[in-house]
Amino acid sequence: MVIRGRDLDGDITLDADAVVIGTGAGGGMALRELARAGLKVIALEEGGYHPPSDFTQREDEMLPLLFQDAGGRMTRDLAIRVLQGRGVGGSTIHNTNLCKRTPDDILDLWRDRYAVSGCGPREMRAAFEHVERDLSVTEIPAGLRNPNNEVLRVGAHELGWKAGPLKHNRVGCQLSGFCELGCAYDAKQNVAKVLVPQAEAAGATVYADVEALRVVHEKGRVAGVVAAAHDRLGGPRAWVHVRARTVVLAASAVGSAALALKSNVPDPFNQIGRSLRIHPGAVAAGRFDRLMNSQYGIPQSYECTELLSFEEGSDARVWIVPAFAHPIGTASLLPGFGKEHMRAMRTYGNLAVLTAMVHDETEGRVTVSSDAAGRPTIDYIMNDADRRQLAKGLIACARLLFAGGAVEVVIPGIPPVRLTSPSELDGLRTDFVRPHGVPITAVHPMGTMRMGDDPRRAVVDSRGEHHFLKGLFVADGSLFPTSLGGPPQISIYAFALHLAKHVIERARTV
Amino acid sequence: MLASVGAGLLAASTTIAFVRTRGYDVPPEKAARLRNLSPWQYVVLSAVARRIAAPDVDDGSVPTADDVDVAGFLDGYLGNLPPDVRRDFLRLLAFVEHLAPLGCKLASRFTRLGPADQDRVLAALESSREGLLRGGFDGLKAMVFMGYYRDARTWKIPGYAGPFVSAKAT
Repeated sequence: MVIRGRDLDGDITLDADAVVIGTGAGGGMALRELARAGLKVIALEEGGYHPPSDFTQREDEMLPLLFQDAGGRMTRDLAIRVLQGRGVGGSTIHNTNLCKRTPDDILDLWRDRYAVSGCGPREMRAAFEHVERDLSVTEIPAGLRNPNNEVLRVGAHELGWKAGPLKHNRVGCQLSGFCELGCAYDAKQNVAKVLVPQAEAAGATVYADVEALRVVHEKGRVAGVVAAAHDRLGGPRAWVHVRARTVVLAASAVGSAALALKSNVPDPFNQIGRSLRIHPGAVAAGRFDRLMNSQYGIPQSYECTELLSFEEGSDARVWIVPAFAHPIGTASLLPGFGKEHMRAMRTYGNLAVLTAMVHDETEGRVTVSSDAAGRPTIDYIMNDADRRQLAKGLIACARLLFAGGAVEVVIPGIPPVRLTSPSELDGLRTDFVRPHGVPITAVHPMGTMRMGDDPRRAVVDSRGEHHFLKGLFVADGSLFPTSLGGPPQISIYAFALHLAKHVIERARTV
Repeated sequence: MLASVGAGLLAASTTIAFVRTRGYDVPPEKAARLRNLSPWQYVVLSAVARRIAAPDVDDGSVPTADDVDVAGFLDGYLGNLPPDVRRDFLRLLAFVEHLAPLGCKLASRFTRLGPADQDRVLAALESSREGLLRGGFDGLKAMVFMGYYRDARTWKIPGYAGPFVSAKAT
């Protein structure tokens, strides 16, 4: 059952075996698994519950509906835009359906360097396979590759670079290209479509429009959650108290850490909120002498991994995929303003865009404001090594675009880098990537409550349970000790599934 | 450091704005409908939008920011933003109006400058050494383009067909 907080008549107090905070990939999976285990489980989701008919394919309407801070969430220095979902389904509602497993090298690294036990490639295989079945994950066939993705394929082929097709979780796709604004055709095999109905069938209840304000704990044990239901305009409507001895944080790497901090969760080694990774990314746009219509079709169905290695400290930490936007998003990224900008917008139909995302080693931090609102604040200033990686990645994007047939390439920035020949890339310095120098966007926050068996370096243990607060679990991207170097949704789903047995065991023993 | 200098400038501009809010004409019926902007902020945002979304042709074939009422749309859209973000946005408007021109050695409010000087002020903000101001400009630009390209009348510029869902009922 999904209950909208905006419809509540007054304050309520609920009893449950477990409460899940957040309904993205991790929360949705935890909710289903706990419900299927016969536990009385409740999920609290601060955003709304939106059927596909709410998705109007308009940027100005979907940004406030589906994204934190209406898509305007920024790092504290305003240098990086951090896009995160809100609402039942979380970021699985607006993501582009990319499905990649956590690389074996990353799982090995977590075991060897971060004392994560029981989560190696062999132990995680079943979870990945289970998730991929649940979400109907399949490779996007060549015949459904849109022109933007085809440019990447051709470019990589011409350069002899490592590249290949990607898998997605979509069934019945209408090829409209509006994926990032929610799927009006309900073709995404996401949390709202797949997991929430299964959890409901198993007896779970989801409260939408209900923001968790504080995890209640006493004597080293979780006791419940205090939350507020919001009305249609976001104003307060009612208090929601949940009494539960097990709480699962799954409100994203930003939201989960912020809630833990606001709740004064024990943190003797000052680890909560630290080690934030975000996959900072920027774009290069290629102009073609033919109509591309890159906004249509399946986005991000092909990748280039020529510059991607998962070794710690590697000098190749860039993942390249297509990244196209609708007019408002494109206008925000194209350089300049005024007449020159409008002239550039007239080439919209002839553009193909690639993004370089850094498998980052910079460690950012999430804190909360000291006022009553306790809003999350994101501090993240890319280190020099990651800036060089991003510059290398953007130059690689430009090479791919030229090799794919572009007649001009622009890397937006202050000033923009404008190129009409790949030979101009040979002498290009890499120091154009600096704070506020190029528009940087991050869509994959990770790692603020990382897992590991050493409580001095990790917030939760390898079972996902907090080292110092029994009954508090984490089941989202906050768990990851390092960046993934690829799309995180399958990793988040799989870790939530893999760790759910420990949550169930704990909930049954209290 | 950058953040603190930028924040200081923005805060100072808010103080100035408190004492210099006269001389901004907004039709009474329009002013009465504003929910998040004060009349002077509406005038400043309209002026900024006129330059950021300036048409590339002067033959009247392209809608202006006034035609699609960018500032009016953003007045409502600001209600979607968290209070602290909304506050910073309004501070930035005050900064653009009162302090940013001084950085270009222009002793006038932004709204009283000619288009070329307004473009100079915005360009200086876009490339400011203060990271917070550059970030603020990027935010302002994104908001203006949100207000501009949301309107179907502007879609002929990028050759955009618009949403499918109105044609394909779900």
